[in-house]
Amino acid sequence: MTSGTMTRQEFLLRCGARGETLELWLAQSWIAPREPDGFSEADLARARLIGELTRDLGVNEAGIDVILHLIDQVHGLRRALGELRAAP
Amino acid sequence: MKSPYETLGVASTASAGDIQKAYRKLAKALHPDLNPGDKGAEETFKEASAAYALLGDPEKRRRFDAGEIDASGAERPQQRYYRDYATQEDARPYESEAGYADFMEGDDALAALLRRARQARANRRGEDVRYRLAVPFVESIAGAEKRLTMPDGGVLDVKIPPGLVDGQTLRLKGKGAPGAGAGAPGDALIEVEVLPDPRFRREGDDIHVEVPVSLSEAVLGGWIDAPTPTGPVSVAIPKGSNSGSRLRLKGKGAPIRGGGAGDEYVTLKVVLPKPADPELVAFVEGWARGKAYNPRTGAAS
Repeated sequence: MTSGTMTRQEFLLRCGARGETLELWLAQSWIAPREPDGFSEADLARARLIGELTRDLGVNEAGIDVILHLIDQVHGLRRALGELRAAP
Repeated sequence: MKSPYETLGVASTASAGDIQKAYRKLAKALHPDLNPGDKGAEETFKEASAAYALLGDPEKRRRFDAGEIDASGAERPQQRYYRDYATQEDARPYESEAGYADFMEGDDALAALLRRARQARANRRGEDVRYRLAVPFVESIAGAEKRLTMPDGGVLDVKIPPGLVDGQTLRLKGKGAPGAGAGAPGDALIEVEVLPDPRFRREGDDIHVEVPVSLSEAVLGGWIDAPTPTGPVSVAIPKGSNSGSRLRLKGKGAPIRGGGAGDEYVTLKVVLPKPADPELVAFVEGWARGKAYNPRTGAAS
């Protein structure tokens, strides 16, 4: 089993974002929880990253989109690379 | 320890704007999520973050400058970054193949490997799902059919094999979470707890049971019904049985895997009528040989 999930409310509380901010993130598919009210720790860490990029680094919406896309590619690559290394 | 000003590379007279600019420049270069493979970046980023948390806040900066708090006074609790989750199951929906999709199209060895890995990922086996099930002792010996309700509302029919032991885990193949693509579903793992029965005690494959008998049954012998997990069984009480006498019921214990079964041991317990029967009292009072008999002679004292 993967680690437990949290509700939308817990999620907002823990990442410190407002409801409408989360709506934007969901609409942009930056955050894609498995269930509408079931956020994972990975979703939370991702939300924190978005928050840091926006607040602390001053990245705008378009920038976030590009960054997340690249990050997702990097992790896809890292997994593929990991699997190749593990393959006989 | 470096001062937060040194960490950010600014003068202690720097303006708030300069400090923010310096931090952003460092953070862009060092943020762990922008450097997934560089361990050193995390440390340096943390230092820069801590420094900025201190200097970016006018009140904290004032207190630091005044010596009221030290550089680590504002350190934030351990944070887990997205990269710590990025290759876990939870982050799977975010992952993208766009970075190497073109490599998979060729017919070289790398393309074959990448395709195979993707195939394996797409056809992952489902996860095993664990359940707990309580079974009465009698059913653990005799076997039973049980029905489990799963969290999603479905039902699972579980066959309890005869002779099951407390804590044993049953595996129902393919009854766990569904797999992805052509992947096989996982298994349902059912941990069985055997509920104790006040009548029976299990020792290995043998079952022990205590059966009360009357004085006349003990003295004169007779037939009684002894409980077994599969129902009562007629047992002959030999004449002159004592409290504590043990009778063996062959094959009435727990079934053994691979054939055969343990035995059931019936321990007799003589129970006098309550309240005491006057006739019996009168008889025992006049029973000279009974009074002369001392069962404790010869016993170690």
